[in-house]
Amino acid sequence: MGRKLKAHPVFTIVYVSFVFFVVIPVAYTLGTAFFDDNSLSGNIQLLNKGTFILLAKSCIIAFSIAVFSTFFGTILGFLLYKTNVLFRGFFKVSLLIPLFISPYILAVAWKDFFFIFFNNISFISSYIGVILVLTTIFTPLSMLIIGSALSNINAQLEETGFVITNFRRVILKIILPLIKPALISSFVLVFIFSISEFSVPAFFGVKVFTTEIFTQFSAFYNHSLAILQSALLILICVLLLFAERKHIADAPFLSIDSRGTGNKFYNIKNRDLSLIFLFVWFSISVILPFIILFFQSFKDGTSKFIQAFGLLLPTFSNSIGLAFFGALIIVFVGFSAAYLPARKIETKTRKSFDWLLLIVFAIPSTIFGISLIKFYNHPVLDFIYSGYAIILIAYVGKFSFISAKLIGNAIRQIPASLDEAAQIEGIKSFARLQKILMPLIMPTLFVAFIVSFIFCLGELGITIMLYPPGTEIMPIKVFTIMANAPQSLTSSMTLIVFSVTLLIITGFYFMAKPMIKKYRFTND
Amino acid sequence: MKNLSLIIVFLIVLITISCNNNSNVIVVYTSVDQIFSEPILKGFEDETGILVKVVYDTEETKSTGVLNRLIAEKENPQCDLFWSGDPVRTIVLKNKGITLPYQSPVANYIDPVYKDPEYHWTGFSARARVLIYNKTLLEMATAPQSIFDLVKEEFRGKVAIANPLFGTTTFHISALFSVIGDESAKQFLSDLKNNNVVIATSNGDVKKRVMQGEVSCGLTDTDDAYEAMKEGGDVGIIFLDQQGIGSLIMPNTVCLIKDSPHTENAKKMMDYLLSKETEAKLAISCAQMPLHKGVDIPEDIPSLDNIIPMKIDYDKTSQKLEEIQSYLKEWAEN
Repeated sequence: MGRKLKAHPVFTIVYVSFVFFVVIPVAYTLGTAFFDDNSLSGNIQLLNKGTFILLAKSCIIAFSIAVFSTFFGTILGFLLYKTNVLFRGFFKVSLLIPLFISPYILAVAWKDFFFIFFNNISFISSYIGVILVLTTIFTPLSMLIIGSALSNINAQLEETGFVITNFRRVILKIILPLIKPALISSFVLVFIFSISEFSVPAFFGVKVFTTEIFTQFSAFYNHSLAILQSALLILICVLLLFAERKHIADAPFLSIDSRGTGNKFYNIKNRDLSLIFLFVWFSISVILPFIILFFQSFKDGTSKFIQAFGLLLPTFSNSIGLAFFGALIIVFVGFSAAYLPARKIETKTRKSFDWLLLIVFAIPSTIFGISLIKFYNHPVLDFIYSGYAIILIAYVGKFSFISAKLIGNAIRQIPASLDEAAQIEGIKSFARLQKILMPLIMPTLFVAFIVSFIFCLGELGITIMLYPPGTEIMPIKVFTIMANAPQSLTSSMTLIVFSVTLLIITGFYFMAKPMIKKYRFTND
Repeated sequence: MKNLSLIIVFLIVLITISCNNNSNVIVVYTSVDQIFSEPILKGFEDETGILVKVVYDTEETKSTGVLNRLIAEKENPQCDLFWSGDPVRTIVLKNKGITLPYQSPVANYIDPVYKDPEYHWTGFSARARVLIYNKTLLEMATAPQSIFDLVKEEFRGKVAIANPLFGTTTFHISALFSVIGDESAKQFLSDLKNNNVVIATSNGDVKKRVMQGEVSCGLTDTDDAYEAMKEGGDVGIIFLDQQGIGSLIMPNTVCLIKDSPHTENAKKMMDYLLSKETEAKLAISCAQMPLHKGVDIPEDIPSLDNIIPMKIDYDKTSQKLEEIQSYLKEWAEN
């Protein structure tokens, strides 16, 4: 592992564990699919012009969603994290709502909305519909990433900027360059999420690359071709990250980021206009789909809601426990993966860790699920496969990349000089982490935990492949009951899942608030 | 050293817990909607005391999730018994060498057409493919009575079918290919496309579109159609082609999984599912038609005695399905 890795034993352990528990199963499945029975040569000829045109279409859709989400996420992030706009506490939480709910359910709600109010679904059942719905779902993620970066900017830099120039130039020349890693992270994450998304385009009848993979997998049972097609998706994601790493995010000017004097808030002149913008976004992304869900839930009284609660009650403890432990491990893995790169401690292993996190993240859920089954479903590994450990491994594999991106951006914004000064004083590395770095990135660690928790709690694609027989997990229950259940029951279950998620996150927030406050200079 | 010992103890505890093989248990995977299958499986648990651990499927994955899981688990099966809502999935498993033959004595009186000749799977409680129509938009007299009426000009853009690449619709189309021949079936599908048929994401989506009046009628399964009526939809049901090729009947099917851990319990469960009592329960809960004679069913549930079934061989139709999948993909996507 080399001297540098021996100097970072925690990193080494996390890296080796990730490779053993997550990467080897994937490599095993890919290797089997490609090289067994000459399936590679048999299937590669099926990758024709049509396949690549479809892939290009999917890229265009994902690109549009990533651009729109990052654009709106930046505006929302700025308004909510850097200004004194009214009700910003309310909007900070309420605008996250679309993230809590399965894209499939929101797609159903949007389609019903268009049918009920316009008696026409042709607009929503199109590429535009897919872009619209997924933009409303992923913009909160962009808002969180960018908002977190905005609140980490060193106020001194902004103040200095104001001494010599105006607001517009401070935004363009200081703030935007400083949050560039977050903007790029937002774009990359949303792009990868969008290009991997299956349920929304499938529901709207829009053919994209993931629906093609699903068809090969579920209609033709051609696992090898499905895996080969997934490899193309992975390749695109890897190229995207490669471009990010090589040409943009590691650009030298970003390394001078510093933080340590708190967050600067702006008193904006057009508060009413900002409030209108926030309210319009809130209406489009939250109120409209929720009107439909409420209407469907309670149109026949409260009986279905009560029934839905009874059905979901046994799932709460399992699901919350799994998501909680999953999010804790994910934040730990994310931190371990992000620390060395963000501190410019170069090793080949740390570089490969980044790529491994990305590759696993980019694998479609079904393929990842199958990989874990094929590897862990052996008598000797039954203790992992037949319990909750397999689900935790899936969560960690799927979401550690996001956590690493979030935490890595936060660490980059902390001046290395703080750590170096402590090092000169002879303070040991663990103490430096505990007393200097961790307090400064505490809000981001919290955001990473919350984002991971939300994703784990709602994860369906891999969980459905892996959940132990006889256990009840919230998203699985919603979707298995959904088939043939009355719409009112399904909508009620969605509302309950949303309420429970919101309640828990609010609880986490109030529990973590004193700790975050203690370590922060502002009360953001 | 101390840390290493702790890790070893932890692993031993984990392995001990996981290796605690309980023989009084059965693992069931089912593609049948949980809302209908769960009460039946609970009934078995209450009656026998055998703990039933279930993996259900979802609409989002077109109910192919458990099938793919079964295929992936082939080398070390976790599942003892698979209960499918149609014959297609069990036949796929049989062809992949995953099923274990079992001739249940309870199924002796079920028509052999609903059983695999080698007893890899056995059918029970059937659904039928029916036409569901919106009574506000169509009257019974003017509604299509044959599947071939759907290509008439008067129904242009007013008919929905689910994506024929998945689920029971695939089987319905391949049954048509089996019965009327490839050329006629392709002509029919081509005419249907030219008549602007709406391709819905699932049978449930067909039901919803008909209930909402987005289309006048559509092809779906009896359980979806009866569910629409239960939900208060102003819809009617027609068994198509009663003067012609008949309606497609799709039994539930059940099979044992080869090399599974609890085969004896699985046989008990299979006997339970194939019983008249289970068929009676499924008739009440989801309007499924018993394959046994003399089962008490509600008055509004049709009996197989009164329906002209499409005459098909389920195994051969499944083979046909594999042959036409690429054609169907082309048809659905272009």
